[in-house]
Amino acid sequence: MKLSQILNRQHIDFMFKKHWAVQGKRFPIDTGLEHLLKEKGIPVEDALEFVKVHERKPLSKERINIVGAYETPLPLDENNPDYKSRPCLTLTNTNVLLEGISQAQVLTKTVIAEDKLPNKIEELAEISIPKLVHEGVKKAILSANVFDCEQKKLPKVKDPARPAYNFPRILGISDRRRNEIITNKLLQLVEKSSDFELSQTRYVLNDVECKTVFDKEDDLIQFQDMSHILVTSNKPLTHELPERDIPFVKIPDLYPVKYSVTLPPQHFYDEKSIYPIQPSITNKHPHTTWLHFNRTEVSNIYETPVTDAQIHGRSLTHAFTVATAYAKQLHGEEVQDLPEPIYVNCIQTDGQKYHFGVFELNTLNVDGVEGTKNVWYCKNDVKLYDRSCYFNGMPVLENYNPKVFGYINAFYHC
Amino acid sequence: MHLVKFHRNLPKFKFWTKRRYSHALLTDENEYTEAPEYPPILDMSLQGRKLRERQIVHEKIQKLNTVEEKQIALNMPRYYGWKCVMLNEDKIPYNALPLVKCYTRTHFIPSSSLPDVYSETASLADLVVKQTKSLIEDIIILESEAVKHNYVAEQEKPEEQQKEDMITKNIVKQINRIICNKLSDKASHILSSQADYEPRHEAFWFVGGLDVPHTVRNQRKKHKWLRDQLEEPIDRPVQYIGTPLLTLRSNLPLKPLLPYVEATNPDFKVPKFSFVPESVGYHTQHRHGTNIPGFWTGDCDEFGLLSYHGRGHISVRNPSFGLEDNVEALHSQALKASFGWLLGQANYQGFTTYNDITYPLVTQTIITNGKLWSFYVYQMNTIAMHNEQMDENPKHNICFGTKPLQLYDTIENGQVKGFNEEVLKMLVQLYLNAPEERDHEMKPFLGKEEQIIADIEDDEKRRWLESRYKHLVSNRPKHYLMPEIYLWERIYKIKHNTRFFEAKRRFFERDINPFKRRLDEHLPPYIPKVLRPYPRCRKKFENTYYPKV
Repeated sequence: MKLSQILNRQHIDFMFKKHWAVQGKRFPIDTGLEHLLKEKGIPVEDALEFVKVHERKPLSKERINIVGAYETPLPLDENNPDYKSRPCLTLTNTNVLLEGISQAQVLTKTVIAEDKLPNKIEELAEISIPKLVHEGVKKAILSANVFDCEQKKLPKVKDPARPAYNFPRILGISDRRRNEIITNKLLQLVEKSSDFELSQTRYVLNDVECKTVFDKEDDLIQFQDMSHILVTSNKPLTHELPERDIPFVKIPDLYPVKYSVTLPPQHFYDEKSIYPIQPSITNKHPHTTWLHFNRTEVSNIYETPVTDAQIHGRSLTHAFTVATAYAKQLHGEEVQDLPEPIYVNCIQTDGQKYHFGVFELNTLNVDGVEGTKNVWYCKNDVKLYDRSCYFNGMPVLENYNPKVFGYINAFYHC
Repeated sequence: MHLVKFHRNLPKFKFWTKRRYSHALLTDENEYTEAPEYPPILDMSLQGRKLRERQIVHEKIQKLNTVEEKQIALNMPRYYGWKCVMLNEDKIPYNALPLVKCYTRTHFIPSSSLPDVYSETASLADLVVKQTKSLIEDIIILESEAVKHNYVAEQEKPEEQQKEDMITKNIVKQINRIICNKLSDKASHILSSQADYEPRHEAFWFVGGLDVPHTVRNQRKKHKWLRDQLEEPIDRPVQYIGTPLLTLRSNLPLKPLLPYVEATNPDFKVPKFSFVPESVGYHTQHRHGTNIPGFWTGDCDEFGLLSYHGRGHISVRNPSFGLEDNVEALHSQALKASFGWLLGQANYQGFTTYNDITYPLVTQTIITNGKLWSFYVYQMNTIAMHNEQMDENPKHNICFGTKPLQLYDTIENGQVKGFNEEVLKMLVQLYLNAPEERDHEMKPFLGKEEQIIADIEDDEKRRWLESRYKHLVSNRPKHYLMPEIYLWERIYKIKHNTRFFEAKRRFFERDINPFKRRLDEHLPPYIPKVLRPYPRCRKKFENTYYPKV
């Protein structure tokens, strides 16, 4: 260093060095207090000695019972008084069966008539619907997929070729809201375009829960399901049986899989079935139940994507849940074979694809594969449209299929 | 010496230059007029010049073609968003009505019945009430007692409020369903209308003539040329956010309640409320102004018929506010909700807070909890109330409203006691109010060909504007945090100058106001070299299409 170099007076490094030097060796400042106290004859004790005395005898700590904002709930384990040793295998509406429709068949003891709906529905579906109503359906599709203003985070976008790449999160309409809008608007259109005499005998409920608990062989099983829309009527739904020679799909043998696979056991449950409407109400009979398939909410318990067969199975278990819950309210918990069959219509949708079904509940005894069986008429995978979204900044609706609305209308009117 | 040389060469340069000061003889004979025509005398003071600058911006916004561009233009001056006074639908402080009246420029007329316009449909409404009364009684019993709904409480709101709103929502859905089904063959507008559940309603506007907050006054003190304007009133951006339970909208607007000339009637004058809104219980938030009436542009059902709102928030209000204030809170909720929705609709017709509407718009608002019903009919005549317009604009909005009326007294043993048919009749009359086509131009400030961005021909521009608009109105957090003065900086740098030796790099040390940054003051997305067009292209950044205002 040159001797002649002028140092910058406010050198930040020097400031830090000096600061460290000061902070590095601290020593107590003599306040002169000790001297003063001694003069007045007051004994002075060394602080370190004082601390040591207290260290020798630790104070016994009493446990304080802290009263929180709410009572802490008991842990959900074997010691809980509500714990039941017999596990109940539970299927909820956010879970699907591993084997899909065939497992659902075994669980509910049902035979299937594929692509076959009762004649009355097929006839009603052929009735031509005014153009104005179809325009309304198109408006409903667009308002659910394009024009609704919800801006929520959608699921992460993944590119299978480079799975670690993070794309920007897209904000848009969540599938729950999309389905709510489209199903409600379709039903509103059906009701508005039908007679008031008919629509006053129906009742429309949103988001109601049905629960059914039953024994199958040695297992206790419960289905907890939610009807996103439940249309009820003032008299029980009946269907005329279609011709006898239907090629029914028989109940399959699932071996090596057991029927209870992917039904997680629960030890906290209530053995009473729940039907959401009280028996004193006149409009209590279930007519059509709408089930949404929200891809972000429904999943396998193992992280594999949900397959079509599983979605079809969901329709069946859902219709079974509503029908049995209603049957148990009607005939009591222990009813087995029903004196008269109970029918429930079911429509499942993810907004684009529609799965129609009619469930005929004949028995609640689901043991084995022999004896009386339940019947499931279904027509799956009907598309309402091919594409409906913003494309290049323009709203798009491609290939609208008017048949779907015909079926929805028929389901309401039957 | 050089100067002499230059002077000598001057005639040579003459050939190069053009004689700009000479021109052809004026063909116009009327150069001279009888009376002298002077150019307008402009106010050259600071305020005068600033006012002209603002007016130019307002004109530019008016001339923009599409709705979305106008919305982006409103937000152009602020990169981090406006510091908005937040008006929420269901958070109402004590004594809220005077502020809401002033901010929405509304004259409120309390009444016990609907305005006279509705008397035409009274007889039909009576008939409908007779036929639907028993059904509606059934609904009330069913929804209050007999159905078990699945409901999940959220953390943000009090549980009591949510429970009440949930029951209300179900009752409202059912009543709407019954009345719509009943009326769909009697009134064609019901059949073609759309019902929305819990749509998103947002509105943004400026309110002028308000008192100056102390922060602004302190800022003004710093500048010599502003010292004589310390108490000059300011504009406050206001943002309304609400979620009705259910709305009906149609492709035609409702008829005006009063003729448009009545808007300037001095009887409807609104008292000014110029206190700082923070001092009476409102808070501010930095956000982009959004105008959303529950749907994106392009939907054909652009005009509201009626909206239902919950009143669960009343049940969790502080009991010491008193019953009278609760009624006022309902009125203020109705004013906010009606004005907010109509303002959103007006923005989709091409008007903004700077470009006033040219015709009145009407909506009907219902606030209910299933048992108590209050009805409001609102006519919007003006939306211009920024600084220049606050005192000069002669127009006012008008709202008729009732007190909460009981639909029934009690439910006993599964029977509704004391059902009030008058209330149901009023409700049916709101439904029977049919919209009508107007005989004037609805969108005078929008382009002829391009009215929304979906109409734009240029693919790239359309795509860019669509994504920019949606990004803006989503108000999602910025990639970088907002600039902030940390506490240690305030102590050691601003209040006490202890670090004078450090380089001055932060914005407050360099006299930069980061909140004055404009929306387009950012680098556009970079185009990597491989993606640039062949053979050679020097264009490094993508195009942006911000409106030029």
